[in-house]
Amino acid sequence: MPLSTPSGLVTELARRGYNAEREAITLLANAADPALALDRAVEDAPDDALRITVAHVRAVLDTDKLSADAPTKPPSDESADAPPRESVTQDPPVSTGETDQTAEPKPNRPSQSAPVETEGSASADVEDTVSSTDTGETVPSTDIGDTGKAVPSSTSSDGDSSPPVSTDTTLSSEASQSSHTRNPTPAHITNDMTGASTGTGEYKQFVTTFKDRYERLSKLLRGRVNHRPAKAIQQMPGGSDAEMIGLVNDIRSTASGHWLVELEDTTGTFPCLVMKDKNIAELVDQMLKDECIAIQGTLADDAGILFADSIHFPDIPRTHRPSTADRHVQAALISDVHVGSQEFMADAWNRFTDWLHTPEADPVEYLLIAGDMVEGVGIYPNQDEELDIIDIYDQYERFAEYLKQVPGDMEIVMIPGNHDAVRLAEPQPGFDEELREIMSAHDAKITSNPSTVTVENVSVLMYHGVSLDEVIAELPADKASYDEPHKAMYQLLKKRHVAPQYGGHTRVAPEEKDYLVIEDVPDVFHTGHVHKLGWGKYHNVLAVNSGCWQAQTDFQKSVNIDPDAGYAPILDLDTLEMTVRKFS
Amino acid sequence: MRPDDERYFARIEDRLDEAFERAGAARAQGHDPATEIEIPVAKDMADRVENILGIPDVAERVRELEGEMSREEAALELVTDFVEGTVGDYDTKAGKVEGAVRTAVALLTEGVVAAPIEGIDRVEILQNDDGTEFVNVYYAGPIRSAGGTAQALSVLVADYARSLLGIDEYKARTEEVERYAEEVALYDKETGLQYSPKDKETKFIAEHMPIMLDGEATGDEEVSGFRDLERVDTNSARGGMCLVLAEGIALKAPKIQRYTRGLDEVDWPWLQDLIDGTYYDDGADAEGDAADADDGDDTQDETDETAVDDADAVDPDLGPQGPPRVEPASKYLRDLIAGRPVFGHPSEAGGFRLRYGRARNHGFATAGVHPATMHLVDDFLATGTQIKTERPGKAGGVIPVDSIEGPTVRLANGDVRRVDDPEEALEIRNGVEAILDLGEYLVNFGEFVENNHPLAPASYTHEWWIQDLDHAGADVQAMRDDPHVDLEQPGVDEALQWAAEYDAPLHPAYTYLWHDITVEQFEALAETVADGDVVEGVLAIERTEATTTALEGLLVEHSQTPDSLRIPVWRPFVRSLGLTDGLRKEWDTLSEEARTWDGGDNAVKAVNEVAPFEVQERAPTRIGARMGRPEKSESRDLSPAVHTLFPISEAGGSQRNVADAARVMNDKGQRGVMDLLVGARECTDCGNHSYKPKCPECGGHTEPHYVCDECDIEAEPDESGRVECPRCEREIESVEWHTVDLNSEFHGAMDTVGEREASFKILKGVKGLTSAHKTPEAIEKGVLRAKNGVTAFKDGTVRYDMTDLPVTSVRPEELDVTADHFRQLGYEEDIDGEPLRFDDQLVELKVQDIVLSDGAAEHMLKTADFVDDLLEKFYDLPPFYEVNERDDLIGELVFGMAPHTSAATVGRVVGFTSAAVGYAHPYFHAAKRRNCDGDEDCVMLLMDGLLNFSKEFLPDKRGGQMDAPLVMSSRIDPSEIDDEAHNMDIVRQYPREFYEATREMADPGEVEDLIQLGEDTLGTDDEYRGFDHTHDTTDIALGPDLSAYKTLGSMMDKMDAQLLLSRKLRAVDETDVAERVIEGHFLPDLIGNLRAFSRQETRCLDCGEKYRRMPLTGDCRECGGRVNLTVHQGSVNKYMDVAIEVAEEFGCREYTKQRLAILERSLESVFENDKNKQSGIADFM
Repeated sequence: MPLSTPSGLVTELARRGYNAEREAITLLANAADPALALDRAVEDAPDDALRITVAHVRAVLDTDKLSADAPTKPPSDESADAPPRESVTQDPPVSTGETDQTAEPKPNRPSQSAPVETEGSASADVEDTVSSTDTGETVPSTDIGDTGKAVPSSTSSDGDSSPPVSTDTTLSSEASQSSHTRNPTPAHITNDMTGASTGTGEYKQFVTTFKDRYERLSKLLRGRVNHRPAKAIQQMPGGSDAEMIGLVNDIRSTASGHWLVELEDTTGTFPCLVMKDKNIAELVDQMLKDECIAIQGTLADDAGILFADSIHFPDIPRTHRPSTADRHVQAALISDVHVGSQEFMADAWNRFTDWLHTPEADPVEYLLIAGDMVEGVGIYPNQDEELDIIDIYDQYERFAEYLKQVPGDMEIVMIPGNHDAVRLAEPQPGFDEELREIMSAHDAKITSNPSTVTVENVSVLMYHGVSLDEVIAELPADKASYDEPHKAMYQLLKKRHVAPQYGGHTRVAPEEKDYLVIEDVPDVFHTGHVHKLGWGKYHNVLAVNSGCWQAQTDFQKSVNIDPDAGYAPILDLDTLEMTVRKFS
Repeated sequence: MRPDDERYFARIEDRLDEAFERAGAARAQGHDPATEIEIPVAKDMADRVENILGIPDVAERVRELEGEMSREEAALELVTDFVEGTVGDYDTKAGKVEGAVRTAVALLTEGVVAAPIEGIDRVEILQNDDGTEFVNVYYAGPIRSAGGTAQALSVLVADYARSLLGIDEYKARTEEVERYAEEVALYDKETGLQYSPKDKETKFIAEHMPIMLDGEATGDEEVSGFRDLERVDTNSARGGMCLVLAEGIALKAPKIQRYTRGLDEVDWPWLQDLIDGTYYDDGADAEGDAADADDGDDTQDETDETAVDDADAVDPDLGPQGPPRVEPASKYLRDLIAGRPVFGHPSEAGGFRLRYGRARNHGFATAGVHPATMHLVDDFLATGTQIKTERPGKAGGVIPVDSIEGPTVRLANGDVRRVDDPEEALEIRNGVEAILDLGEYLVNFGEFVENNHPLAPASYTHEWWIQDLDHAGADVQAMRDDPHVDLEQPGVDEALQWAAEYDAPLHPAYTYLWHDITVEQFEALAETVADGDVVEGVLAIERTEATTTALEGLLVEHSQTPDSLRIPVWRPFVRSLGLTDGLRKEWDTLSEEARTWDGGDNAVKAVNEVAPFEVQERAPTRIGARMGRPEKSESRDLSPAVHTLFPISEAGGSQRNVADAARVMNDKGQRGVMDLLVGARECTDCGNHSYKPKCPECGGHTEPHYVCDECDIEAEPDESGRVECPRCEREIESVEWHTVDLNSEFHGAMDTVGEREASFKILKGVKGLTSAHKTPEAIEKGVLRAKNGVTAFKDGTVRYDMTDLPVTSVRPEELDVTADHFRQLGYEEDIDGEPLRFDDQLVELKVQDIVLSDGAAEHMLKTADFVDDLLEKFYDLPPFYEVNERDDLIGELVFGMAPHTSAATVGRVVGFTSAAVGYAHPYFHAAKRRNCDGDEDCVMLLMDGLLNFSKEFLPDKRGGQMDAPLVMSSRIDPSEIDDEAHNMDIVRQYPREFYEATREMADPGEVEDLIQLGEDTLGTDDEYRGFDHTHDTTDIALGPDLSAYKTLGSMMDKMDAQLLLSRKLRAVDETDVAERVIEGHFLPDLIGNLRAFSRQETRCLDCGEKYRRMPLTGDCRECGGRVNLTVHQGSVNKYMDVAIEVAEEFGCREYTKQRLAILERSLESVFENDKNKQSGIADFM
């Protein structure tokens, strides 16, 4: 990693066993030869120093004339005591810059990083230390609209307004080091079941899970239809009107091309016939088994079947008005980092984290990662041949290293994905203690998949997105496709469940409730998994599928998937508008 | 044909005629669906081909060409005829190609399988993107039955026709190439391929294939990328195409190459790259690079693709400084199965030593193993067990040969000895600490010809040495005649004397495996021995780790004391080390060449430098192997077993018990009365309607009767067998619902044949009939089958399956029969032309004679009793067999019949063996289109087939005609069999030039003239005789009768035994085995079951109703019963602990251990309550 970037400097210092003050890094980065300056600063630092301070750097720069007339300010007194904002504190006591890194199992693990506690007072004093010395390293942040095919420039489905696409985000070539202090408030998390998995794989628990699904989703439909239990409908005379809420038990086409939808509630099942020439027939195409819907209609003369007149999904109310932040603050929504894969795009990631250190990224106070931190082991046969890092723990170690490049004063929330070392069955609990220990750098919040994360009033439903494959495979291409993954997400919102269909692609672990139900309407729905970038609004809920940080793999090539790699969607939490930045 | 052979066939045909007469009379009574015997006798192959194809003039042209050339060549020759229009009446180019392709497949399959008609749907001419035309061949699933060679050649034929017709090559689009790769992989995953080409290989083939391979969709699973392609009209896997590409082109590339070389019009230069595996780099690189063997060394897999390529196999860097060696190939280790052990890693020292020769029970795709080895590998090998091998072929059936060298073992007391006696092997087995060497592995030359595999350097054996001695000028004949001289196993003094006297190498019995120790070890050993003493004629040397390892590597037999190693036979050994008998070392240093030979890893040059005689490389080629399938000898039963092909719906329960069904009460309170879907038939005599073949009114015969449901009009079948309603033109079937009184049918049947319910334990019927006309079989037949303890196959016959093994000469004694029996069968002389007088004389087996396993004999006896019962009690005819003991079966005729074929071959029983296999003449197996690499097929008793087989019973679906005797061959014409058998060598001795050629790794074709093959006698008077062998074996059933794989109980027991054995074998890397078992068995099992758990179906415990998802009611919606999971925790994690244990114990990779650890945590996460973790016992301590 080039030493000219702040994150590179931080990493290098960490490697040598030093923590550093934020301004010190700024100074180093702006030096004519940052690498040399860093060397000198380290040499110059007293033997017992654990942290390179502004004073150390300045001493070096002044004496060695390395500073390349970077305008600098004398350090304020507080700054020396200010909590670390580059949260790469070093826990082992460090001798002079020759710490034997390999001797320590987890040398770079911060003892206690506390970005949240920063008061921000120090930074307020610090003026812009922008200089133009840093020329080599620009952040090519391209507007997404320019990239053409990879990303849909607008979404028009459902007549919703599409989010604005930033057209003016190209960074000036003088990328600069920000001295801004972020001040995120801790994320509030609900629906986390980490450490609370009570399922033991018994039949009864499966039943409980599905019952819970039915009960909670049917509530959303009760206002619209007058539900009669299946048992009651079975007793009704032919020709009566009937309305039923149930889980879709089966969808079949009849010999004459009509649709037979079997609904199930807690009393039994009842078949409903959707005539092919009715306009509601197209809704059948969008139906998945085991989702909860309501059907209104008329019983046949022999009362054996219900002729459907209307079909209702739990859906997001059109009246939904999302909450927003009361200040200008942003969140980066990413996923599918896949560290450990030979295709992991380290350069793009470095550019991303470098950018986070620039003033432009000052408002970005939150980083939400929707799963697949690492490539994992044994995900597919002979995976070891394509791994850059074979050892799963080494993969997480490396991921933690990359995570450390993210400014320490950002609030991070992570959920696991199907490549992570947790169970595949959903809901997936958050990482276990061993992995948390490895990734403790930022004191990131780790929660289960799916979870709802509320930051600055904005609730973000985070779900890795395994069910998207199935939604895309089952539904017509105009409703869901890999090129427009957000449309598949709309379907999940409409069904108010992140993975409705049982028995197919999605694996289910029974729990005391169905954690996959979308009971409360989120303001933002964030997924990953399919490695395609796409976003749009559905009934005012912003759906974002966030691309990945892994270049096209052989497997993807073999099945003709061209991933959107190296993008970071940046969400304005005060307006819920989104900008996508490209780092690849 | 010699009069002797004429008499032999006449005998068989006489008996056949007798059977036809009796069976004909029985069938004429009209009890069966047809009134004639339904297995016709075919005249010759040309007839079969023409009939199967329906193309006139083909038979005549085939007969013309047959005399002149091989069948493959004839198939190619016929292409010209089709193109020119002299054969077949096709107007279009596509038609000509199609005719040629179908004919080729029919010819290559001897007209016995349905592949040519059912396996090739059509041929089309389509357009390339540049506007030129190309040929598209559209394959279907049944092409499978054609086998790889015919599949591959069908492509070649299409291409040849294409070039003759001036059509351009197919130019695949990029997405089509990618589609092939994805699709083949998908098909392999879904259905499984014998050979799974890697994506790169598939793409390479697809890019170069001059015609387009297409086909109909065979699976439900669809490809996920490359969908909706313009020129591919399905998104599912096209099974026929995948087979042709993978098992045809990819697997049989060397074979196709033989034929492309002979054709000027067809040039497939890319085949060489395919064979060499040099397609991994882009084409230019592979072609341009002269030293492409370097590329091959880069990746293991690349070299896998090619077994060896002659000179290239030698690492060019070492070229002159090392001996010729074949490249290790690890392909055979892929997909290792738990419980089936590895016997040797690729070319690893201590593995099987390649010896050339053909034992009398050896033939195509068989592996000669010493019976002592079979016992010492813990009985995992038995006669007929299939092993997957490194070379020359992929797999072989194991046969016992005790005239080769046995294994060398180290006992717990440190003794190292070679075991050449199976009895001794059993005695010492428990004390064996390590198997240092698996002994020799006999492979016949023909095997190399068949696989077109360059000869691998031969072991130095006495059959070669004797010729060396002869060549050196010794009077070998005189020595042979001298009763005091044993040329095969001479004494030490003689061996040393000959070595000194003649310019021939040291006798192999005293030649040690110098090539397996390093020069350093050699030098150290010489020093150690020089310091040793000879006490009482035994050499004693200091016992050190290094010395022990060296002696064990050399396979020098010795014993040990606490501080010394004692070598009883030491003089040749000491001399080879360059020491005198007085243990004086006569040399100081070795030359540079000797020290650097083979990088210093091979001490052969050193030995030859210091020894007073020439020393040959004892065993330069080691062959890796692992167990494939176990041998088989068991009755073929449908599942559940069936006694009668009479439908009883669900009434018989899961057992399909007819008696139970006959007692079930229906809604109206009638017992055994039920509605069954059966074929409507009409009596040809009285017009009465019934579902039975024999009219219950007048006893006449009935025929299927067609009435249109809609119009109620009768209809007749047209020429093609289709039946259309004359008014509404709907296709109509004869099948309809009949109310059948099963109770009275059942009891009536028992009355007819005079049996009572107590005569049998259970009579099983079928749930429903799957045939087109749904004609039920007479229940009487089932009653008699049940009584005699045999069951019916889907076509009404009684079958017994056995693994095929070849044998060309037998001793009456080993077949548990006498010379008398053999003389009665027409055998008069032994193999040396002496009159047959004694039971232990070796007799050459006649082509259609077969040896039954004990189990088969017992089963045939039961079948004979059944047939006799049937004739007497049902048809009211005299019995045919009247057997009392199994000797009565000798001389009786059976049908041999292989899966995927449609023709039976008549065989004659001549004896019995305790091995669980069916030994027969290799030509008999080849006539059924089987080789002997662990394939199995069945025998049926002749009369049973004639009486009970009917096409009417065959399932009405694609492939339904397979595995049914639609035709029979009464005599084998050696030129009309699978030509694989023709490559079997039939000589008594391989010449010295041959052995020398192996050391140069010559192409088998170069020495083919030196050794007579079966193909050399084709068409001559000798085509039925003269199958000589180079090696004898005491008995064709030595070694264990059953593989340990079959005698061990649970999978865990098998795997434990497999891992235990892997530790004992020097040639096996036990960590690799454990790794492969975990990778190939435990992990997929765990992952699969965990996946299955989280998306499982549920089932009602009371009524059996299945639910895709758990009902919200919790209970069964049908019966209110208890619903439960179908996949439980116990079945998900049953292997978890043992997998972790094995990974630990065998030091598996961290990667593997981590995968297991992650899985274990996943299991905990799913199956354990976080809030109520099960506490270990430690929590209480």
